[in-house]
Amino acid sequence: MRSKAATSKASSAFSKQGKSAKGKEKEQAPEQLKVLQRAAESSHEDDNEELDDQEENEEATDEDEQEFEDVEEDDAVPVDQLSDAISVDEDAVAQQKVEIDNAIAMERIRETIRLDPSLPWTETLVVSYPETVDVDVDDDLNRELAFYKQALHCAKEAKTLAAKHNFPFTRPADYFAEMVKSDAHMERIRQRLLDESATIKRSDEKRKEREGKKFGKQVQMEKLRERERGKKEMEERLKGLKRKRKDALDDAQGNGEDFDVAVENAISDRPSKRGKTDGRGGKHTSRQQRDKKFGFGGPRKYSKQNDKSSTDNFQPRGGKPTRGGRGGARGGAKRPGKSRRVAARSRS
Amino acid sequence: MNDLEALLPHVKKDAKLDSKNHLNLLPELADLNNCNNALYFEARRHEDLYLWAAKTPNGPSIKMHVQNVHTMDELKMTGNCLKGSRGILSFDKAFDESEWGRLTKEVFTHIFGVPPQARKAKPFVDHVLTFSLLDNKIWFRNFQIVEKDPLQPNGPPQTSLVEIGPRFVLTPIRIFEGAFGGATVYSNPEFVSPAAVRSALNKERGNRYKSRKFQEEERTGRKDHRKLEEDQLAVSKVFA
Repeated sequence: MRSKAATSKASSAFSKQGKSAKGKEKEQAPEQLKVLQRAAESSHEDDNEELDDQEENEEATDEDEQEFEDVEEDDAVPVDQLSDAISVDEDAVAQQKVEIDNAIAMERIRETIRLDPSLPWTETLVVSYPETVDVDVDDDLNRELAFYKQALHCAKEAKTLAAKHNFPFTRPADYFAEMVKSDAHMERIRQRLLDESATIKRSDEKRKEREGKKFGKQVQMEKLRERERGKKEMEERLKGLKRKRKDALDDAQGNGEDFDVAVENAISDRPSKRGKTDGRGGKHTSRQQRDKKFGFGGPRKYSKQNDKSSTDNFQPRGGKPTRGGRGGARGGAKRPGKSRRVAARSRS
Repeated sequence: MNDLEALLPHVKKDAKLDSKNHLNLLPELADLNNCNNALYFEARRHEDLYLWAAKTPNGPSIKMHVQNVHTMDELKMTGNCLKGSRGILSFDKAFDESEWGRLTKEVFTHIFGVPPQARKAKPFVDHVLTFSLLDNKIWFRNFQIVEKDPLQPNGPPQTSLVEIGPRFVLTPIRIFEGAFGGATVYSNPEFVSPAAVRSALNKERGNRYKSRKFQEEERTGRKDHRKLEEDQLAVSKVFA
């Protein structure tokens, strides 16, 4: 048996040799077919046993080729013709997978099985797409879109062809028959679609609600704060006004109108003029009060530090007494002990 | 693969063939059933599926590897069609560009094309079987032809498609001259058997393990090598 390497070379080099052999091949075709069929039968057993095993199968095929070398010229080219075509590198060729692309044989086979071209289109319903599907294989969306386009184009073309051949294409609306998928199955599909859309809707709603909540809370807080601020301001203004006008209200009723205007001014967001009130009464609050409120003058830096007197002074400083703790012990009588309390209760 | 049976009204299903090594029985079986085309699904190792598409009396036959199978039972495909209606066969142009493609197209036309006289066939056409050649693989899709837009029942007929399923991808492996056997006339050089892929993966994992172990060993060796021998004046000796 010839080495496998040589055969593989032969097949790869076939493309060069095959062109010249083509003419001869055509003439021999019918008898070649018969011989090949015989070959197929004779090699049937070993071929079948080892079909899954690529290498083994290769050998089997090679054997065929060797037996019918004179017939299958396209696959078996003498080694000495090859040596100039391809440099011999045993290892590299042995590694390479043997490729067989026997175009002539395939064409012959196709000729034998081909349907009669005179058959009307309605026999086969085959439509070819005039373009190749040329998209990225891993890009699922585009790939499916390409398939869809192909199918759509073919469907449209088939429809026109059907119209031409007077072939019923569209199913009439009143034609009912068994479908590929059962009604139960379609119902399940429909249910699933509905479920899906419901889920989407629900999640959408949920999201919107959540966002609204977040935002709404902010808005409400803002509003409350605004209202409070407004109220406080109003009170302050009124208070200030009252204090200033106290004497005026006491003695003279004639100034009532004036007061009303002032109140209105104070209440309205934009007091008409600060200077107006200033012109008569001077300042809103006394200097002292304002100093007290906002802090002016007096010691600031060491005001809370201990000094000579406060170091020894253990009296608590003024201010609110703290609840509980030690503070509690300070005020009032102590709670009597348990035994005393029990005794007191029994006495009464 | 009952799906294909449902789609093709002229199909006769036969029981499972118990032996994978006697494929030559298949033509006889087909002959018994008066069939001249055969599709034979061959499952191997419970995970690989091969499809033989053959013209039975005397060839040719195509062996293909089936991948990415989605059956009609899946709920994502919403189309439906008449059981037994004749589908349009659609091939893309790439089939005409190579010899094996032309042969495959011819064989598929024979097998998947429903003859008009088929007894169970319905007289209308409402689905398209799409075969596309992409990346040297044959992609199979099945679409329903919807002629009326369900949203506008009174509008002009607008053809659109809804997928029915099944869908799968076929990688051609070999084309044989005879039915289920015979001399090879085409073999796909790019095909790598799934077993080989798995074994390569396993091997790689094994290699990773091996290299890790080797590194561990080396590390311990280095550590031992670096250890200083005990000093004469070491604390434990002096104050023993």
